Amino acid sequence: MKPKSDLPQGTLDLLILKVVALGPIHGYAIAQRLEQVSRGVVQVPQGSLYPALHRLENRGLLAAGWKVTETGREAKFYRVTRKGQAQLETETAGWQRLTQAVSLILKMSEGGA
Amino acid sequence: MTWWHRLFHQRQHEEQLEKELRHHLDLHTSDLIAQGYSPEEAQRQAHLALGGSEQVKEMCREARGTRWLEELLKDVRIGVRMFRKNPGFTLVVIATLALGIGANTAIFGLVDALLLRPLPVVKAPGELVLLMRGDGRGPTLSYPDFAVLRERNEVLSDLALYTQAPISFGNNLRSEVVLGAMVSANYFDVLGIKPSFGRAFLPEEDRTPGAHPVVVLNHSFWQSRFNSDRTLVGQTIVLNNRRFTIVGIAPSGFDGESPPMKVSLWIPVMMMASMRWEPGALDHDPLNNRQNEDFGAIGRLKQDVSISQAQAALETINRQLEESNPPPPEQRLNPNDDRSLKLISPQGIMLGPIREMAVTSSRLAGATVLTVLLIACANVANLLMARAARRRKEVAVRLALGATRWRLIRQLLTESVLLALVGATAGLFLAYWINQLLMAFKPPFPPPFTFTLDVSFDIRTFVFTFLLAIATGVIFGLVPALQASRPDVLPALKDESNAESPRVRWLNLRNALVITQVALSLALLISTGLFLRTLRYARQIDLGFKPDQVLAVSFNLRLQGYNEAKGREFYQRILERLESLPGVQTASVTNLLPLGFMWLSTPVVPEDREVPPDDRIFAGDVCVGSKYFETIGTPLLRGRDFTAQDTIKSPAVAIVSEKLAHSLWPEINDPGEALGKRLRVGRSNPISCEVIGVAKDSRTNIFNRLDRAPEPTIYRPFTQNYSALASLIVRTDGDPRSLISAVQHEVAALDENLPPQNLQPLSETVSLASWSARTGAAVLGVFGLLGLVLAAIGIYGVMSYSVSRRTREIGLRMALGAETRDVIKLIVKQGMGLTLIGAIIGVMLALAVTRLLASLLYGVTATDPATFAGVVLFVIGVAVLACYLPARRATKVDPMMALRCE
Repeated sequence: MKPKSDLPQGTLDLLILKVVALGPIHGYAIAQRLEQVSRGVVQVPQGSLYPALHRLENRGLLAAGWKVTETGREAKFYRVTRKGQAQLETETAGWQRLTQAVSLILKMSEGGA
Repeated sequence: MTWWHRLFHQRQHEEQLEKELRHHLDLHTSDLIAQGYSPEEAQRQAHLALGGSEQVKEMCREARGTRWLEELLKDVRIGVRMFRKNPGFTLVVIATLALGIGANTAIFGLVDALLLRPLPVVKAPGELVLLMRGDGRGPTLSYPDFAVLRERNEVLSDLALYTQAPISFGNNLRSEVVLGAMVSANYFDVLGIKPSFGRAFLPEEDRTPGAHPVVVLNHSFWQSRFNSDRTLVGQTIVLNNRRFTIVGIAPSGFDGESPPMKVSLWIPVMMMASMRWEPGALDHDPLNNRQNEDFGAIGRLKQDVSISQAQAALETINRQLEESNPPPPEQRLNPNDDRSLKLISPQGIMLGPIREMAVTSSRLAGATVLTVLLIACANVANLLMARAARRRKEVAVRLALGATRWRLIRQLLTESVLLALVGATAGLFLAYWINQLLMAFKPPFPPPFTFTLDVSFDIRTFVFTFLLAIATGVIFGLVPALQASRPDVLPALKDESNAESPRVRWLNLRNALVITQVALSLALLISTGLFLRTLRYARQIDLGFKPDQVLAVSFNLRLQGYNEAKGREFYQRILERLESLPGVQTASVTNLLPLGFMWLSTPVVPEDREVPPDDRIFAGDVCVGSKYFETIGTPLLRGRDFTAQDTIKSPAVAIVSEKLAHSLWPEINDPGEALGKRLRVGRSNPISCEVIGVAKDSRTNIFNRLDRAPEPTIYRPFTQNYSALASLIVRTDGDPRSLISAVQHEVAALDENLPPQNLQPLSETVSLASWSARTGAAVLGVFGLLGLVLAAIGIYGVMSYSVSRRTREIGLRMALGAETRDVIKLIVKQGMGLTLIGAIIGVMLALAVTRLLASLLYGVTATDPATFAGVVLFVIGVAVLACYLPARRATKVDPMMALRCE
C-alpha cells in the first residue's frame, strides 16, 4: 500500500464541495469518489466526513434530501446550493493561486542557488 | 432549515442521522464482503473505518450548532419534572418572584409611560425633535426666531410652531375652559398626522393674522362633548366668545406634542392676536415681537441627518440671531442664562418641571421595587439552598458519573431561570393590576391641565420584564447552584444527611440572606413610616383657614372678552345671586385661592420709616371682597373687614396678616397697634394704604408648600384692585358639592358662554398640597409591607429548616428533660440574633436613605426617632412570630422518634 497523505487543514470542505458539485450524491459515495479520484492518495477519515457534511449543510453551502437509490434504499443525497457554488469557485481560485505560488517557489529553489 | 426548525424536529433529525450512518455502514460492509471479507469481519472493518458511531453522531450534532439548545431543552424538561414533584415549593417560589418582578414591571411600565415612550399616533416619531432654548423648562422661541430657523435651516424637512393656552369654550351650562394650542398651519403635516374627519390647516391659514377662525378638535374631546357627531365638521363653536368653524377632527389618541397635557383643540397661530383680550392686545402683534418667547417648535429631521448634526446647524443660526438682535437685558432673568438651542427627541413627559418630578419619583419608586426584588431573590435563594441540601445525593451521583461541574451549574441555573420566567409571567398580570391602582394616585391637576397617562404595557415593558426575569433567575440561582455542585462527593453518597452539621457556621450564607432581608424591609418600612408621619402632620397642621364646607369656583373673564366695567358688574351680580341661594352662609371673591397653583407677592414698605430697597418685605398680595375672612374662615384679630363703603373712589385701605404687621413694625406688641398706620404696596407705582385690620396668619401660599411657615400677606379690597382672573368662595351649611349645579345655573343665567373653572370644594384644592406625601406613603407602604411579608417568610423558612436539621438534637434535649419553654427559647433566640443584626444594618441603611427623602417630608425629620423605634419594634415582632411557629413545631417532636430516625 502506498503511504497516504493527510489532508491539509481546511481542504476537506473544498474537496467535498467539488465532488458534490458534479451531481447529487450520498455520503458513502462521496468517500469512495474522493478515494478513487485521488487514486488512493487522499485518505478521507470517514469519521470527519459526516460532521463536515452537516457543517456545510448548516452553513447553507449544501442542501440535502432523501431519495431512493438504484438498490431501492433510501439515502440522504447532497447537492451544492448556489451559495455553495460561489464558495467553491472562490476557494478553487484561491487554492490554485496558492499551489501555483508554492510550486513556483519550490522550482526556484531547485533551479536557483 | 432554520435552527429552531431543527430544534423542534429534533427527533426526526436524530432518526435521519441514524439512517444516514447506517446506510453508509451497510454499503461499506457489502463492499468489503465483495472484496472477500467474511460478513462479521466486514462489519467490524466498516465500523472501525467510520469511528465510534456515537462519537460521529455527537460531532454531527455539534456541527449543526444546536447542541447547546438541545441540552437546554433537556435541562428545561428536567426542571419541569422537578417542579411537578415539588408543587408546594414551586408555588411559593413562583409567587415570591411574581411579587418581586411584578412590582418592577409595574414601575417600569410607569417610567416607560412617563419618560421613555415616543409620541403616539405621529409618523416616525424617531425623526421628530423639539427645539428648546436653554434648559428646556418651557417654550422659548419667538415667532420671528421661528420663522428664521424654519427658513434658513437645511437639516429639517420642516419645522412647526406651537403654543398652548387656556381657551374658554362657550357651551351654555357646559361651558368650560379647555387647553388649546395655537399652531402653525404645517403642524399636522410635520407630525405626519391625518385628521380622521375633515382636514388639517391650509397654507393660506398661515398668512393673514385674524383671517381664518378655524379649529381642529381632539378626537376624545369631540367624542365626549359632541357625542361623536360626524356632521360637526363645517359647523361653528364659540371660543373666547368668538365663532370658529370646525374643519377637522384629529385622529384618536393624539393629544398634542406635550404629554401628559392634553390639548383639546388646535387653532392656527395666526388667530393668536384675536384670541387675546388683554387691554391693547390688538395693538401689538404677538407674532411680530421678538420679546414674546412663548412658542415651542417641533421639527422633523431630514433623512440621514443625526440629531447632533441638526443641533449644531440650528445652533449656528440661533447664535447669528442672538448676535444680530440680542434680547434686552430686562428680558433675561439672569444675564448668564443659557440661550443656546437644544434638540430633544420627544419621549414621555416633555414638560420640564413635571418631567423632573417624574424623574425624581421614578428613582424613588425604582429603588423601592428593586429592594423588594432583592428581598424576593434572597428568599428564593434561601429556599433553593434548603432544597439543594436535599438534592445533594442526586448531584453527587451525577458528579460521580462524570458530569462536569459547569454542566450541573448550567442545569441548576436553567431551573432557576425557568422559575423566574414563570414568576415574571404571573408578575405581568400583577403589574397590570398594580398600575391600575397607582393611576388612582395621579396628581390632581386642575383642568384645563388634564393629566393623561397611558400605562398599558408596550413591547419595551415586555422586553424589560423578560430580561429582568433572566437576570433574577441567574442572581438567585447562582449561589445555590455553586453550593450544590460542590464536588465533595463522598460524604453525600454515604447518605450523611447531616453532612453539613460538623461545620455549621453561625454566619453562613443562609443567615446572611435573612439578615439582608430584614435590613432591606426595615429600611423600606422606615421610609413608609416617615411619609405616614408627614401625612398625619399635614392633617393636623393649622392652615389658618377652614376649607371644609367651602365651595370655590374660578373665572377668567379676560378669555371671555370682558372689560373691567363688565367684569366688576359680573362679580357683583354673581355674588348677590350666590348669597341668596339656600344653604349658602356667605360668599366672597378673591384673586388668589389658598394653596392654589398661583401666588403673587409684592413689596410692602411702611410709610413711617425709610427702608433700603434690599430690605423691603415681600408679602402675598391677595385682593378680596367683603366677608372674605368670614367665608374662608380666617379670623380677623383686630380692626374691621372691607365693606361696601370701600370703593374705587374711597381712600385706599388694607388688612395685614399678623406676621406682616410684626415684620413691618417690629416694635409693636399687640397687632392692634398696626391699625391706622400707613404703608405702600407695589413695585413700580406703590399705592399708599391705611391699615384697617389685622388678620390671623394663614397658610395660603402655593400648593406644595404646606410645610412652610405662613408668609406675610397683605389683603386689599377687590373693589380697589380689580382682577379679571378671580375666584368665588362660598361657605355652605353642609356638603359644598350639593351646590355645584346651582352655581352652574347662576353663572349660565348671567352669561351662557362663560365657563366656571375648577368648580369644586376648597378641600380638594388643598388636598393637592399633600399629594406627594400621600403617594409616597401609599407606594412605599405597599412595597414595604410586601418586603416585610417576604422577609417574614424568609425567617420562617430558615428557622423551619434549622428546626428540621436539629430534630435529633431537640429530641435529645427533651429526652434529657428540657422543657417546652426551653426549646422555644433556644429556637427563637437563634432567629432573634439574625433579626437584631438585620435590624441594626437596616437602621443604618435607613439613615442613609431617608436623607434623600427629606425634600418630600415635612413636620418630621428624616431621622425621626419615634418612627425608627416603632418600625424596628414592629419588624422584631413579626420576626418573633416567624420564629415562634417553627419553634412550637420543634416542641412537638417525640424524643423517641427523633432519636430513632437516623
